[in-house]
Amino acid sequence: MTALLNRPTAQAPIDLAAWTIGAPRLLAGLDQAMTIGLDLHLATHGPVPGTDLERILGFLDHAVIAGRGGAGFPLAAKIRALRGGRRRVVVNGTESEPASHKDRLLLHRTPHLVLDGALAVANAVGARTVAVAVHDLATAVVVSTALAQRADAGRVTVRVVRGGFVAGEARAVVRALDGGPALPTGHRTPPTANGVLLANPETFAQLAVLLRVGPQRFASTGVPGEPGTTLLTVGGAVGRPGVVEAPLGTPLRIVLTAARAEAPQAVVLGGYHGSWVQPMPQIPLSRSGVAVAGASFGAGVVLVVGQQTCALGELARVAGWLADQSARQCGPCRFGLPALAADVVTLAAGRPAAGRPAADAAFDHARAVTGRGACAHPDGAARFVTSGLHVLLAEAEAHRRGGCGRPVLGHLPLGAAR
Amino acid sequence: MTLTVDWTRCAGHGLCHALAPDLVDRDEWGFPVLHDAARVDTATARRLAGACPALALRVALPAR
Repeated sequence: MTALLNRPTAQAPIDLAAWTIGAPRLLAGLDQAMTIGLDLHLATHGPVPGTDLERILGFLDHAVIAGRGGAGFPLAAKIRALRGGRRRVVVNGTESEPASHKDRLLLHRTPHLVLDGALAVANAVGARTVAVAVHDLATAVVVSTALAQRADAGRVTVRVVRGGFVAGEARAVVRALDGGPALPTGHRTPPTANGVLLANPETFAQLAVLLRVGPQRFASTGVPGEPGTTLLTVGGAVGRPGVVEAPLGTPLRIVLTAARAEAPQAVVLGGYHGSWVQPMPQIPLSRSGVAVAGASFGAGVVLVVGQQTCALGELARVAGWLADQSARQCGPCRFGLPALAADVVTLAAGRPAAGRPAADAAFDHARAVTGRGACAHPDGAARFVTSGLHVLLAEAEAHRRGGCGRPVLGHLPLGAAR
Repeated sequence: MTLTVDWTRCAGHGLCHALAPDLVDRDEWGFPVLHDAARVDTATARRLAGACPALALRVALPAR
């Protein structure tokens, strides 16, 4: 069963379109309003019953919530890892991944659910402040409007953190909130070591649902070890792009059918730090299911590369974008990602690179950047490109023989001006 | 004993490579490649870290 959750108005921006497979939880009530105000929120979800630390951790021990920002770190482990005196909660709503819209959708359309989760954690760990970090002013305005409706939100501030892909990395966000540049730090100290509980908006929204329904009902859908639903951002060559709420473990085929996808050449899972995969219809969309397919679930991005586009050109385009997104702090990333992108362009042009196959040069450059940066950007970019090269081996051969004859249609979206 | 590189600081001067060419290689852009950081003995690790003009090398005890 699928249900459309937005009123079909011509004005609704494409990235705020939402639908669901199965019963909506996070997206409940969106069929009634573009943005759910406090009254409708309480009528839809009811109040949060209790937010003491033991209750939260007890629930999370029975119904695991893995972080929904990409890394998948369990929320309970993050809460338990908190050290340091001054506790803070940060909602990382920067969503720098251009193919992902789910966090902006939550903050724009059902902001109170995110705030419920963030305030629950703040109460539980004794945080004096809660910061909601976003990339754009429009989102900041919606969240501020929601805060003004609540009596319990005095300690919450909204902060616009500008910047590119890597500015959304956890330590970069905390650094920006503390007055520094929005850049990853050179040492890999997690924010929890300094008393900062930072998580993704969907993670907080999932907690807000769990606290209301309890672990048993929460786990009535999903798969063992990964209970509940997930938000997916579906895009590319599909007739119905948007944010989808689906039970964890839903097979890829069901999502693609519901999204009215063209017959795919390939699918990109997890976003631009994720992987290209053959469009195997049975891949379960859960962290473990996607991992078995050799890919990473990331922040739940599903992009369809259709038959009409030049897939190798799509790969080259995103590889160039990833190189541009380097913060240029770390040498191997600064020089290695442009070299890697150039290899893919050479491959797409059907030429060798310095007297050897361009794919070999690309694999070497991918290896040369992996594990050699302050953040995971070089590793993620290398994974994206190498997985693409593996999936597109036959394409590369066609290009060597004179080209595939298809234009690059831009099925993989790049960051709009933000 | 392990030796780690702070990649935000490293500028590829290459002193670590010059001092211990058998332990530290350089990539095509001149940045260090530590093949087996755990193999570096304490004295060498301290010497390399102390010599780095960018203060990009860190000596750390293995996590317990």
